[in-house]
Amino acid sequence: MTKKIAFWIFLLGTLSSAVLFLGLTVDTHRQVAALSHADKLSENVVAGKRAFEKYNCNDCHTILGFGGYYAPDLTKVVQRVGEDGIRYRVKHPELAFANSVRKMPQQHVSEVEIESLVAFFNWVGEIDNGDWPPQDSKKRLSRSEQRLSLGATVSPGAAVFQTKGCMNCHSLHGVGGTFGPVLDTIGRTLTSEQIEQYILNPKSVNPNAKMPPQNGLSDRERDEVAKFLGNLK
Amino acid sequence: MVYTSQKIANWYFSIALFLFVLQVIMGLWLISNYVFTIPQEVVNVFPFATARAMHTNLLVLWMLLAFMGGTYFIVPMETESEIWSPNLAWFQLIALVVTGVVALVGFAFGWTKGRPLLEIPPPLNYMVVVGALVFLFNVGMTMFKARRWTVIQGTLLGGLVFLALLYLAGIPFYRNEVIDWYYWWWVIHLWVEGAWELVTGAIMAFILMRLTGVDRQVVEKWLYVEIGLFMFTGIAGTGHHYYWIGAPKYWLWVGGIFSALEPLPILLMVIDTMNHVRHRHAQIVNPHTWTIAMGCAVFHMIGAGVWGFAHTLPQVNYYTHGSQVTVSHGHLAFFGAYALLNLLVFYFAMPQLKGIEIYKPTRAKLGFWTMCSAMMLMGLTFGIAGVLQSYLERVLGMGYMTAQSYMRLWMGVTLVLGVFFLGGVLITVCDLLSPKAATERLD
Ligand code: HEM
Ligand code: HEM
Ligand SMILES: [Fe+2]
Repeated sequence: MTKKIAFWIFLLGTLSSAVLFLGLTVDTHRQVAALSHADKLSENVVAGKRAFEKYNCNDCHTILGFGGYYAPDLTKVVQRVGEDGIRYRVKHPELAFANSVRKMPQQHVSEVEIESLVAFFNWVGEIDNGDWPPQDSKKRLSRSEQRLSLGATVSPGAAVFQTKGCMNCHSLHGVGGTFGPVLDTIGRTLTSEQIEQYILNPKSVNPNAKMPPQNGLSDRERDEVAKFLGNLK
Repeated sequence: MVYTSQKIANWYFSIALFLFVLQVIMGLWLISNYVFTIPQEVVNVFPFATARAMHTNLLVLWMLLAFMGGTYFIVPMETESEIWSPNLAWFQLIALVVTGVVALVGFAFGWTKGRPLLEIPPPLNYMVVVGALVFLFNVGMTMFKARRWTVIQGTLLGGLVFLALLYLAGIPFYRNEVIDWYYWWWVIHLWVEGAWELVTGAIMAFILMRLTGVDRQVVEKWLYVEIGLFMFTGIAGTGHHYYWIGAPKYWLWVGGIFSALEPLPILLMVIDTMNHVRHRHAQIVNPHTWTIAMGCAVFHMIGAGVWGFAHTLPQVNYYTHGSQVTVSHGHLAFFGAYALLNLLVFYFAMPQLKGIEIYKPTRAKLGFWTMCSAMMLMGLTFGIAGVLQSYLERVLGMGYMTAQSYMRLWMGVTLVLGVFFLGGVLITVCDLLSPKAATERLD
């Protein structure tokens, strides 16, 4: 090979890749409007993005998988912790993470900014991004959920537990929320009857309970979920 | 050393070394945040996010200063002339260092653009642009006046201009988060897998030529092939960051295929380095400098080529994206490719600039091997933590913090390794700032 041929390799290699890349960039711009629902990109959402950047949230949390890896990804945060969950954590991180080994700073974010942040996260959560991250995917079941749902065919109580909001606070086998205690072996401490009572009125079993009464459950649902939990030993 | 204006490079290098030490100290603080519970009061005033901005911006700043210093050292030798304006070189150094210091102090007080790795706020961005323009103008004028064009010069200047242009993509505020990340990667990816590789190719070629006495025609021919492959795979390879951001699906194909080819030019660089050394015409006066060159080529291949390839296919990246796997790769690649490249330039230039033809390599060797082994092991421990995270959090569906609790042990080991790494850095920096001439002949 001569130096001249080497030069042509350089020139053609660079140009072909650049032309492809710039062409696809133009096309990406055309398609992103639909993929990201740009029509719903309101001023409030943009204000939320500005707040997100003002407080440098992104250097601890990833969003769409980019940023610091110190705290959970925020792409689907609305789905995971709910709007109120976001408000509480941003407003009172010192309370929300009092028992956590990792803390989040109290940055005195204003009410208005918090509402914009919520709007921003709602918008980000709707981006059609190839169903990432896997742990928040609605289409696919994680291995742990698959294991749980195998049980659900035997026990309708497990299905209630998963679908009626218990898991927003409690976890089973590492899946679920961290606000309430882990229930992996709850059957060792409480009987099914006590659990049923607890669900109806937590304070009647434990005067210090912080859990709100679960009035949304039907009698049947309460009965099933109590039986399911009572058997976890 | 023949040209007096080359001396300015020494200042660029010394400041870069100082910033490198600060960067690593920040790294130790970051990893401590993973290992210990930092009290709420401390977190309120100095959160992880602020420290991370400092760690990464110090990294970029010291590497850019080192590239600039390297350029001011190499260009006079390549053009056989003095730098066009040493005063401008001074002005530009001071402007950039002041901008950097203001930015770092600003971060501590919450003055940030809030974009990871690009936290420097717009007014300071313009200062950086001015500094870069002055630099490019000065280098361009030197080359233009000398009119002794070589492929090495052209690649170096081309890489630096490309680098400066890409920086502009990171300055505006983008309303759409998707578009924002799209252009964020024009800076981050097209820097480290594009422009910086051009600069690296040119610098490596220059040093190898000087070190081994291999014919310029041969070195430059392979340089063309290398940078051609870097550009061909690297530009469209940007797509490996567009899998999960809300961009069209064809990026899975384009990004996957082109980025999977990215290790090829790196491999070529390793083979090239070995070949030039095998066919050397001159006796290598400082064998340790050549050890660093070889180490850089190999570590570049491991960190960027092997580790990069490991998570670049969409099927893998779906699970590893944004996890400690990314951190493992980021450290091995940045250290292997660019920290070692700059250390190579320092060891090539700094003893010469102090009038030492043959330096005593005892401390240099100790520092080099400590840094390399500590970083390789850190890459492994970050990597283990990352694989655990990908499996526990993304496959099993464990909660984020639950998965993190299983990774904590490995972060603890990383902290210990990090202390050794800092030790290696300190030895190296001391040695470079006061190199000793070899007393007896080496053989
Ligand atoms: C004692 C040595 C070091 C330690 C303990 C350390 C630790 C860390 C930690 C904990 C992070 C944050 C990752 C996260 O967001 O969770 C980080 C980020 C980073 N560090 Fe270091 N670091 C060290 C040295 C270095 C060196 C020498 C380099 C480059 C040559 C480097 C380059 C980076 C980069 C590029 C990032 C951002 C990574 C990403 O976004 O994926 N670090 N470092
Ligand atoms: C010397 C060259 C390179 C350097 C310095 C480098 C550095 C980095 C850094 C710092 C990141 C993390 C950015 C962030 O999200 O904060 C990253 C991400 C990535 N790099 Fe590299 N890289 C290099 C070469 C390569 C190569 C050659 C490949 C592929 C063969 C590659 C594949 C990747 C992939 C797939 C990611 C995304 C990880 C994720 O999804 O989280 N890199 N690189
Ligand atoms: Fe990349």
